[in-house]
Amino acid sequence: MTTGRLPTGLIAVTSLLLLLLALGAALSHSFIQPGNLLNVLEQATDLAIVGLGQTVVVLTGGIDLSVGSLISLLAVLTSGLIDSDASMVLPVVAGVIVLGALLGAINGLTVVWLRVHPLIVTLGSGAVLQGITLLYAKGPVGGVPDGFDFLAYGRVLGLPVAGVAVLLVFVIAALLLRLTPFGRYVYAVGDDPVAASLMGLPRRRVLVVAYAVSGACSALAAIYLVARFGSGQPYTGANYTLASITPVVVGGTVLAGGRGGVMGTLLGAYLVAVLNNLLNFLDVSSQMQLVVQGLIIILAVSVVIDKRRVVA
Amino acid sequence: MLTLSNIHRSFPGVRALAGVTFEVRAGEIHALVGENGAGKSTLTKIAAGVHQPEAGHIAFDGAPVVWTSPGHAKARGLHVIYQEFVLFPHLSVAENIFIGHERHTRLGTIDRGRTRAEARDVLTRLGVDLDPRSLVRDLSVADQQMVEIAKALVHNVRVLFLDEPTAVISGHEVELLFERLRALRAQGVAIVYISHRLEEIFALCDRVTVLKDGQHVLTAPVAEISRERIVSAMVGRDLAELFPPRPASLRADRPVVLEARNVTLPGRVHDASLTLRAGTITGLAGMIGSGRTELAMAIFGGLKMSAGTLTIDGRTIAHPTPAALIALGVGLVSEDRKGQGLAMLLDVAANISAPALARFSRAGLLDRARERAAAEAEIAAFRIACRGAATSVAVMSGGNQQKVLLARWARICRRVLILDEPTRGVDVGAKVEIYRIMRALAAEGVAVLMISSELPEIVGLSDHVVVMREGHVAGTLEGAAITEEAVIALATSHAPGGVERAA
Repeated sequence: MTTGRLPTGLIAVTSLLLLLLALGAALSHSFIQPGNLLNVLEQATDLAIVGLGQTVVVLTGGIDLSVGSLISLLAVLTSGLIDSDASMVLPVVAGVIVLGALLGAINGLTVVWLRVHPLIVTLGSGAVLQGITLLYAKGPVGGVPDGFDFLAYGRVLGLPVAGVAVLLVFVIAALLLRLTPFGRYVYAVGDDPVAASLMGLPRRRVLVVAYAVSGACSALAAIYLVARFGSGQPYTGANYTLASITPVVVGGTVLAGGRGGVMGTLLGAYLVAVLNNLLNFLDVSSQMQLVVQGLIIILAVSVVIDKRRVVA
Repeated sequence: MLTLSNIHRSFPGVRALAGVTFEVRAGEIHALVGENGAGKSTLTKIAAGVHQPEAGHIAFDGAPVVWTSPGHAKARGLHVIYQEFVLFPHLSVAENIFIGHERHTRLGTIDRGRTRAEARDVLTRLGVDLDPRSLVRDLSVADQQMVEIAKALVHNVRVLFLDEPTAVISGHEVELLFERLRALRAQGVAIVYISHRLEEIFALCDRVTVLKDGQHVLTAPVAEISRERIVSAMVGRDLAELFPPRPASLRADRPVVLEARNVTLPGRVHDASLTLRAGTITGLAGMIGSGRTELAMAIFGGLKMSAGTLTIDGRTIAHPTPAALIALGVGLVSEDRKGQGLAMLLDVAANISAPALARFSRAGLLDRARERAAAEAEIAAFRIACRGAATSVAVMSGGNQQKVLLARWARICRRVLILDEPTRGVDVGAKVEIYRIMRALAAEGVAVLMISSELPEIVGLSDHVVVMREGHVAGTLEGAAITEEAVIALATSHAPGGVERAA
């Protein structure tokens, strides 16, 4: 993302996406209809948004394994606190986003101050958050007023609101990463943390903000999921922890940090959504979809990664 | 400008600095010299706020300071060019030059055009023809060094430390670097120049300070000191005492143990050939990044060669792998002792026995008593300083860790031993021991291949020297032809690599 050349990862994921679309068009006529493609755009929302936060963390050389539990907690809080009261929608939505960012920042502060590997920190904080979620709600709680599902299913001029909003958020995020010193430092910290501190870059601030961004993204995903299902449940987010890593790595962001970008993640999320949609069209069972999805991830990453490594 | 007074600093197992006082004035170039492990790098890192001194004071611009972080020292105008580059390989040249000092547009976003233009400008002043948009990862080591130097020039620098800046650049680039440094000196910048190339010190510097084993030995104006005086201050003894005597017999008599022909690793090693003979120490010289380590790794099977043949004791090895070579009696002690060689948390006995556990096992169970007894024997034979076989290697000095590795491989690898930078980070006393061990192994018939960046040990120890440059074998030297000048000429010359032979 930082040079004039297109990174290989972005080219690979785009090619895979186009390949899959072509395959779908050949196998099923209704798959390629604009209506269906707009549905896919909408269906990619949750994975794309969680993946955005995960990408920023992974670029710094870390990982956030607390996103699933955080989504669950924020989802039950959203529907539990709104409790079908329309006047509560705005304050709760705003509060949940701030809370998500704060809890994410606590992850970042823990990584910075205790110097524990992010994998451990977020694994632990994920367990804590899941426990708190279950203390608050054993099942679906509260509800949302009519019209809240506009956030998930709304259409303006025939375009899905959620899908278009996601696209805008990603474009803004990509520009911030590319054009601000802070964005540059995100890459630098992930590329070589020792060099970053020797150069006097604000390494700690970068980490705290990255995890806060991931927390805020989890909050957005939680709100979207509540809008989609009508209420939050204590395991709403359970699948997202590992699923959020899929679009990141398929999109060419390297787990070691410092390389990749958010636009790859967006395309990676579209790839997963297209794949699931196509398998639905082909009447593949949801169990079998999981199998295919797993194989595709391994295949995609093996195409995307840079194999220039020293074996010793 | 900058004064470090009575600085003390230790690391686990090492006393890095013991009461060193060092001062650099505005408008002078002050050479800082000493053997590896003398404390130059630690002193630099304390001056730059990377490490805190355990005792002692720092004064900057006449006032005492306590650096809270490297960023703090940088903000005051103290810039360090480290030997290990502080570069972000996946950012571009221009982005690296201005990292932390980004050029902004009026909106506060990064001005990419201006960044590129100013980067091109500073690179031109350094005489380097580089595209500011290329990724640092894709540059040669020499070009990466020039990017490091460019970084120093764009900042408002008041004190500049350079740690071995010419280790990987040559001829013309060195001249341009010296020109820039003299210009900075004229502007009143205080420059600390760390190098082991004494000719550079006499060409460039105003004063010289020698450190040895963490202590200050002398400080003197360069005009008033001789080359010999500096060397004996660094080494603490006469050079001739360092190396064991060479055997009298001729190399050509000895049987060939290992022969590598036309080895190629795309982008790193091109068509390189190497012959190792029993009882001979072969020095593999060349600049960092010239492909020395990669060639050795390819021979050992750690990197896959795209072309070339490998013959050991007359047998052609079609697909070399480390396991197959170890089975044939070939061992490699890597440059990175901690990363690739030693299990730091295990004890000496476990580290020595690691590749040969079958010999210390009965019915699949480890015989700890036998393992320990064998280790105690090696500890005595190699004069490893430790509190017995149960000592954890993490607490041992670099020199003793290296001896543990030598003990491990010397026992199971009776044909070929490849040593990558065997004396890096080791004090002089341990160096002498390691040289003695290498010569003793050769006397037992082992073919030793030593990769080294230190010219004195290449020249002092090798029976036969192979010099690499930019992935090619630039030439080979033998006998009286092995001199520092000859090695440098082969390692840096831009003429096409012809093979030189001399008796």
